[in-house]
Formats: sequence, structure tokens, C-alpha cells
Amino acid sequence: MSAGTILYVEDNEYNRKIVRQLLTGTSYRLLEAVDGEGGVLMAQQQLPQLVLMDVQLPKMSGLDATRALKADPRTSHIPVIVITSFALSGDREKAAAAGADSYLAKPYSPRELLALVRRFLPEPR
Amino acid sequence: MHKDGLPAQGVPLARADPASALHPQVAIEHLGELMHRRTPLRLLVRRVAAIRASVHTKLLAAFLIVTGVFIAMALVSLQTIVSASEQSRLLDEAHEMVSLAHESEYALARQMHFTDLALLSQSEEAIAKILRENNRFNDRLGELEATGTSDHALLEQIRTSQDEAMAVVADIANAIRDGKLGAVTSALMRRQERLDSEITTRVGLLVAAQENRMSRMRDSVAAANRRALILTSAFAVTAVVFALLCGFVISWSIILPVHEARHFLDKVAAGEFGARISVPNRDEFGTLAERMNHMSSELLRFDAEQRRAAAELGRLNQELEQTSKAKSEFLANMSHELRTPMNAILGFTEMLIDGLYGDVPKALQEPLADIQVNGRHLLRLINDVLDLSKIEAGHMQLSLTEYSARDIVDMVNASLRSLAAEKGLHLETRVPDDLPIAYGDSGRLTQCLMNLAGNAIKFTREGRVVIAVELAGNDLLFRVSDTGIGIPREELQNVFAEFRQVDTAVTREFGGTGLGLSITKRFVEMHGGRIWAESDVGKGCTFFFTVPLRVKDGEP
Repeated sequence: MSAGTILYVEDNEYNRKIVRQLLTGTSYRLLEAVDGEGGVLMAQQQLPQLVLMDVQLPKMSGLDATRALKADPRTSHIPVIVITSFALSGDREKAAAAGADSYLAKPYSPRELLALVRRFLPEPR
Repeated sequence: MHKDGLPAQGVPLARADPASALHPQVAIEHLGELMHRRTPLRLLVRRVAAIRASVHTKLLAAFLIVTGVFIAMALVSLQTIVSASEQSRLLDEAHEMVSLAHESEYALARQMHFTDLALLSQSEEAIAKILRENNRFNDRLGELEATGTSDHALLEQIRTSQDEAMAVVADIANAIRDGKLGAVTSALMRRQERLDSEITTRVGLLVAAQENRMSRMRDSVAAANRRALILTSAFAVTAVVFALLCGFVISWSIILPVHEARHFLDKVAAGEFGARISVPNRDEFGTLAERMNHMSSELLRFDAEQRRAAAELGRLNQELEQTSKAKSEFLANMSHELRTPMNAILGFTEMLIDGLYGDVPKALQEPLADIQVNGRHLLRLINDVLDLSKIEAGHMQLSLTEYSARDIVDMVNASLRSLAAEKGLHLETRVPDDLPIAYGDSGRLTQCLMNLAGNAIKFTREGRVVIAVELAGNDLLFRVSDTGIGIPREELQNVFAEFRQVDTAVTREFGGTGLGLSITKRFVEMHGGRIWAESDVGKGCTFFFTVPLRVKDGEP
């Protein structure tokens, strides 16, 4: 039985591959989108239980996409973890301002990411 | 201030202030202004101004002209006085002539009287009296003739008649002497009477002529006096008017350029560079005006140059801003572009090591660990270079919040404990219990302390590393000391420069990017703090940095 559906919005193929591999041995179902607009659209259609959102995305930035999800009553309840490549002061605040529920700086350790995912979406024993 | 005082000293002429018009001096100045503006004197002023001579020469010339006019007036007056006295002398003379004529008339009358008496009394004594009166008459007549003022013909006639009368007297005298007067008396008396009336008529004419002459002369003197009076008055009035005119024209030929200069300077002061001053003067004021125009055109040129330079500077500044923005964007992009593949490399490596792709053969475990270590090192290097670039470009901003210095020390301690333990080092922290809450960028300060403590562990083979913080006045003093290799005294100043390590062999042994201390120094300085190091080679070293307990907002 699936522990839940996770949507990963990321334009880099290899990073998507990492998460795909990371979740292979788990009971999570993974959805993937490659740009902000696609991510928002997919979240609205599939209503995942968790969204992993990269910040720098084509067409619509991860922050704008997060704002869009949080503004939509259908998706506003879905937790969003923003993954940024700017490990600079202010990014955490920007992510929080956009409505993100958590924040992870790139490059992240897959271990840490999995731990964070499990915190938001516990796997059934 | 001096500058503010200037306009107040301006000539009040141009101001039609009714209050100041009551002042006599100002009223006169108004009159002068009006005369200059409303009369053709303006043209004269301009013409005088245009004379190619110095103001000094013009003033001297005007003074000499006025003096000359007054001297001429004095000469004319003198001449009038001389001529008046001459006229008066002639009048006196005429008067004398008239009295001579009267005296001769009187002498004639007495001569006739004595002749009549001689005829009646027949005495020689009367004859003598006649002769005496005759002499007197002849004398007066002679005097009259000597002046040449009387009709010569008339005098001749009188003299002829007188001679005849004397002949009659001689006859009378002879008759008396001969005692025959009685016989001739009547004849003589008739002759005598005829001659008497003749002479009396003619002397009367003479007297009338002299009186007439005197009267004419009196009229002429009166006329001459009137003429002299008119001439002198006219001369005096002319001289005064001329002097006033000279003064007016000369002073306005000086006032005019001064007024123009004032208007000109007002314009220039108001920023109208390139304003022109136009004066008809070809004297010192003309030269001055030329210089002013030159100055004004220079100011205009200078101003234009300045404006061009400012515009150029603005343009360059804008370009620079765009470049800077482009650089900042480039940095942000580069950060992303570099981290994304790093994420993949480190991510895959970690998952390999964690066995997500299956068990790792023993032979591959070490190279995988090497990939991970070097990948992390590369990532640190990238982070440091990007941080430094951001700081250099001025895009790094502190994120100020309230924080606890103890938390920072604890976090660094927690992060490095395992590393220190691996090397067999004691990692100690010393934090007083009563530290107040601080205000600053705790993330950056953690990074700073992490850099220093990481270095200390890196460069220490045995012994201990101490991380301490205390309150020193209004500053927090952080201290990291070790028992490592130490730093030579001459290198202490250089350790904070970019890419500087004590020697390259050390770099190979201990690793590190060479940027950590430099970045730490920048962050400390951005907080308004100070960083320094003390060391004994072989015994270890201590790094200190201070930051204000509460950083002021808006100040780096």
C-alpha cells in the first residue's frame, strides 16, 4: 500500500534520478514535473500528499509555483518543501514568505531529504 | 555672509520705492536716472563712453573744459568792466564838454554884457573886462576844439564872428579913447547886436550839439551796459549748464557700465553662464566688460564641460550598475549551475555508499569515499568563491536577528566534535552563564567560528582546541585557541588574505580552500568588528574576533 504520493518539481534530470532512486525502496509513489507551470498543473490534477519544489525552474519559479499552490484552495493544504541552490541569507525567509512548509539547501544529502520527507509523510510500519 | 551682503549693497536707483523716494539723495538719483533714460542725453552719454580714452583722461578733459569755460567767462566779465569804465570816462568827458560849452556861452554872455556896459559907460575898464571875457571864451572854445568833438565849421564861424565882434570892441575902444563914441555908438551897437545874436545862436548850436552828444553817449553806455549784463549772464548760465552737462555725461558714462555690470553679475550669479554684457565704453570699463564676457564664456564652456562630464559619469555609472547587476545575476546563476551537478555527484555517491544500488564491493569503498571527500571539498571551494564574489560585489547582506552566542558555540561544537574526536583532540568550549541576548547575523557568525575552529582542528596534531566567548564592554569577544603548528610572526598579518596559507606543503597536508579566513574577516568587518591572531610557532595559535553585542541596523 502506498504511503503517499510525492510530487518532485525539478528541471535537472540527474537530480530527479536521485530522488527516483532514493524512493525506489520506499512505499512512496513519485510524480515528476520539469517546470513550475507543469508542477502546479500536476499538483492540481493529482493532489499529492507532499511537494518537493526546486527554486530555480523554467517558465515559473519554484517560489511563484509555491505561492500558486498555497493560493489554490484545492492544493493549499499540501505541504511544500522548497529546495534552493542559494545557500544565502534571505532565501529561507523568501521560501517561508512564499508559503513553504520547509526548506532544504542544495546540495542536499539524500539521507537528509528522505528524513525530511518521512517527517512530513510518515511511512506505515 | 559676504556673498549674501552683496545684493543689499546694490545701487537703489532702479527701485521705485516710494518710501526711499522721500530721501533727497535718492530723489536726485531718480532724477538722474530719468534724465538719462528719457532724454537724448542718453546718446551723448553713449558717445562719450565710446570715446577711446581712459576714464582718467576723460575726467581731466571735462575738468579742463569746464575750467576753460569759467576762465572765458571771467575774461568776458573783465572785458565788460574795462569797457564800462571806458564808457564812463567818455561820459565824463562829454559832460566836461557840455560844461565847457556852457562856460563859453556864459563867457560870451558876460562879454556882451560888458560890451553893452562899455558902450554905455564909455570906460576903458569895461573894455578890459570885455577882453578878459573874450580870452576866457577863446580858451573854452580852444579846449572844445582840442577835444575834436565839435563841428569844426561851426567853430570857425563862431571864431570869425568873434573876431568881428573883437574888431567892433576895438572900434569901441578906439572911439572911447578918441571921445567920439557918441557919433558911432548907434552904428557900433547895431553891428554889435547883429554879431551878438549871430554868435549866441552859433554857441547855442554848439551847446546843443554837445548836450546832444552827451545824451547819445549816455544812451549808448546804457545799451552797452545792458549788452554786457546779458552777455555775462548768458555766459555764466552757459558755463554752469555746460559744467552740469559735462558732469552728468561723464558720470553716466561711468554709472552706465556699472549698472550693466550689476545686471550681468546678477545673471551670472543666477547661473546664466554665457550671459553677455554690452557697454559702449571703450575705456577701462570697456576692457572690464570684455574680460567679463570672456569670463562668462569661459564659465559657459566650463559648465558645459562639467555637464558633459556629469552626464558621462552618470552614463558610466548606469553602465556600471548594469554590469554589476549582470555580475550579480551571473553569480546567482553560477551558484545554481554549479550546485546542481554537485548535488547530483554528491547525491549519487552518498546513495552508492549507502548501498541504495546494492552492496558495494570492498575494493570500491575507498575510491567512493575519496570521491565524496573531494566532492565536498569542491563544494566548499565553490561556496567560498561565491561568497567572496558576493562580498566583493557588495551584494552580501547580513540577515540580522536576535541570537544567543552560546547557541553558536554549541552548534560549532556539535558539528566538529566527531572530527576532533577522530584526530584524538580535546574540543572544549567556554561560555559564561550570564551572556545577554545578542543581535546580528547568527548564520554568518556560526560560519566564522566554524572556519576558525575547523582550521584549528585541521592544523593541530595533538592537544586541544578551545572555543570561547565572553563579553568585553559592548562587544562579544570570540576566541579559538589550539596547540597546533602555529604561525610565524611575519605571516600573522597575511593569514586573512585570499588564497594565503603559510606554505603550500601545509595546504597539501591539511587541505582547506585558503578562503575561509578571508571570508571570516569580511563577515566580522561587516558586523563592525575586528579579527586578529596571536601565535608562537610550534606552540599553537589563538584567533580572536569581536563583534558588537548588538549590531546597528543599516550599517555594515
